[in-house]
Amino acid sequence: MDLLTNLDIGFQAALSLHNLTFCFIGVLVGTAIGMLPGLGPLATIAMLLPLTYALEPVSGLIMIAGIYYGAQYGGSTTAILVNLPGESSSVVSCLDGHQMARKGRAGAALAIAALGSFFAGTVATLLIAAFSPVLAEVAFLFGPVEYFAMMVLGLTAATLLAHGSFIKGVAMVLTGLILGLVGADVNSGTYRFTFGSFSLTEGIEFVAVAMGLFAFTDIVSNIRSNQSREVTSPSLRNLMMSAKEFRQAVFPVIRGTAIGSLLGLLPGGGAMISSFASYAVEKRVSKHPEEFGQGAIAGLAGPEAANNAGAQTSFIPMLTLGIPSNGVMALMIGALMVHNIAPGPFVMVSNPEIFWGLIASMWIGNAMLVVLNLPLIPLWVRLIQVNYWVLFPIILVVCCVGLFSINNNVVPIYFAAGFTVLGCLFWRMRAEAAPLLLGFILGPLMEEHFRRSLLLSRGDLSIFWHSPLSVAMLSIAAAMCLVILLPQIRKGRKVAFEEEA
Amino acid sequence: MFSKSSGRADLEAGLFFTGFGVLTAVLSLQYPLGTIAMMGPGMFPFMLGTILAILGLVMLLSGLSGMGEESRSLPLVPIILISLSILAFAVLLVRVGLAAAIVAQVFIALWASEHFSWRRAVALSLGLLAFCYVVFVYFLGISVPLLAV
Repeated sequence: MDLLTNLDIGFQAALSLHNLTFCFIGVLVGTAIGMLPGLGPLATIAMLLPLTYALEPVSGLIMIAGIYYGAQYGGSTTAILVNLPGESSSVVSCLDGHQMARKGRAGAALAIAALGSFFAGTVATLLIAAFSPVLAEVAFLFGPVEYFAMMVLGLTAATLLAHGSFIKGVAMVLTGLILGLVGADVNSGTYRFTFGSFSLTEGIEFVAVAMGLFAFTDIVSNIRSNQSREVTSPSLRNLMMSAKEFRQAVFPVIRGTAIGSLLGLLPGGGAMISSFASYAVEKRVSKHPEEFGQGAIAGLAGPEAANNAGAQTSFIPMLTLGIPSNGVMALMIGALMVHNIAPGPFVMVSNPEIFWGLIASMWIGNAMLVVLNLPLIPLWVRLIQVNYWVLFPIILVVCCVGLFSINNNVVPIYFAAGFTVLGCLFWRMRAEAAPLLLGFILGPLMEEHFRRSLLLSRGDLSIFWHSPLSVAMLSIAAAMCLVILLPQIRKGRKVAFEEEA
Repeated sequence: MFSKSSGRADLEAGLFFTGFGVLTAVLSLQYPLGTIAMMGPGMFPFMLGTILAILGLVMLLSGLSGMGEESRSLPLVPIILISLSILAFAVLLVRVGLAAAIVAQVFIALWASEHFSWRRAVALSLGLLAFCYVVFVYFLGISVPLLAV
């Protein structure tokens, strides 16, 4: 019954006209940017983050969340109609979704994608509502030792599952941790790495880092790539799927939802991994594996459900433990901290309307997305045809005004310019930037817990071996590092990510 | 598209991370290190910097042995122009105002793409100015100086 009262609080918060509006804006923007190749949710959320500072925390989070899962819906539309992944998580949907479109079943493909995602979104929302309080209970037992161990595990797993070389990922996490330490040290009040500059005393502006590394670096790497966009326009008449198609989609959607929900929970998991895993599973269990790549319904329905489920359950570690499992979750933690809300198990108790409101809004947002996606397809098709040269100056200007608005100060803009150059260097060196952002967010927290643990043990490092939870988490992290060094798995991982490239 | 010599990406990444790690470790020595039980502000960054430098060296070795990844070629002109457009925005915003900042940014940035034309730049500048005025100044009430003189 507790669940019901909680959901009631949530729906009351989410159903206010104010929050409904922001939920709608979020999913609308999310769908739009999900469709546009070259503009992802990370860059967009970084761009809109300063705007949410002016809002109430609930409204801001509802909007950001809407952008993230909305992008999963939008990405599949581009994949099906244009054979271009609008989002990295919809790469797999190109394979069979576009083949369906070429056979004249574009409408049915879109309907399957939207309804499958809606089902997955509903299940994932229920899972979040049911499991977050349980996980938060566990988190209440955590002391500094366990928190430190969990951060190590979270960062290791996030790096492992992110694409690119593992060692570079770890190096990026460390770089992020170091950058996150700039500013006043909490324990001693010493200003570290500020080089005597007043603007660094409160640390490097988080939004400037995110915009420079994602929004602006994406512009530089996309600006010269000319993608031809041939759109297969679906006629709305055959938006309906046949009974046979529906039957073929049911089980893949259920399996995809299960896979996505599970993988989304893992640190570093989320939408992209889930869709790849689901495609592999569907191909294996199918009675007609030869149809895959030729427009197999299971090859579209499974991954579409999986990426949406994964996108949503990846909120669970962020909401209950305060540990971001991917770049978007790191941005959400940044948004919470601006409002002086420390992410973690306490949010549920101290700000139930934020916690449950966000969860309720996810279900409402998913329902909105189905309505938005199906009838508005002709409109979206025109959006895909917008040229990149129109898009990128808009991104630049909106980001810069946003950076200025944080403190009515141009310093963050200079930092963003610096991080753009750095981001381009990382891009050249094939070092993925998302782990850096995770490290940047966790840097001060991790130091805090590390120092406190050793203060408690009077300098005895074996304290990390005395807590069973901490031992378990650290051993899993160590096992992961060992496993990645084994050549065979390294090869398998490379193949998995090459399909995406 | 890619540079010919193999392992360039790891070589460069190795150099970068080793350098950044060493720099961090050295800089953190100016703060008290403390003891393991009572860590000073310098200890944690010193540890991070040291580990990072070691990882950087490992990358450097894999790059030298030719086992590493190939680097991507950087589009130099867009990097310079895009960063320049961001800096121009910041400089002009406080000295001349939002209008000048947007126009300068759009012109410089659009120059970086192959689709530059005066008409497009003017149209985009005007559209964005109107958009920013309505959204940021009118709706969100952000005090951006439209004309700062």
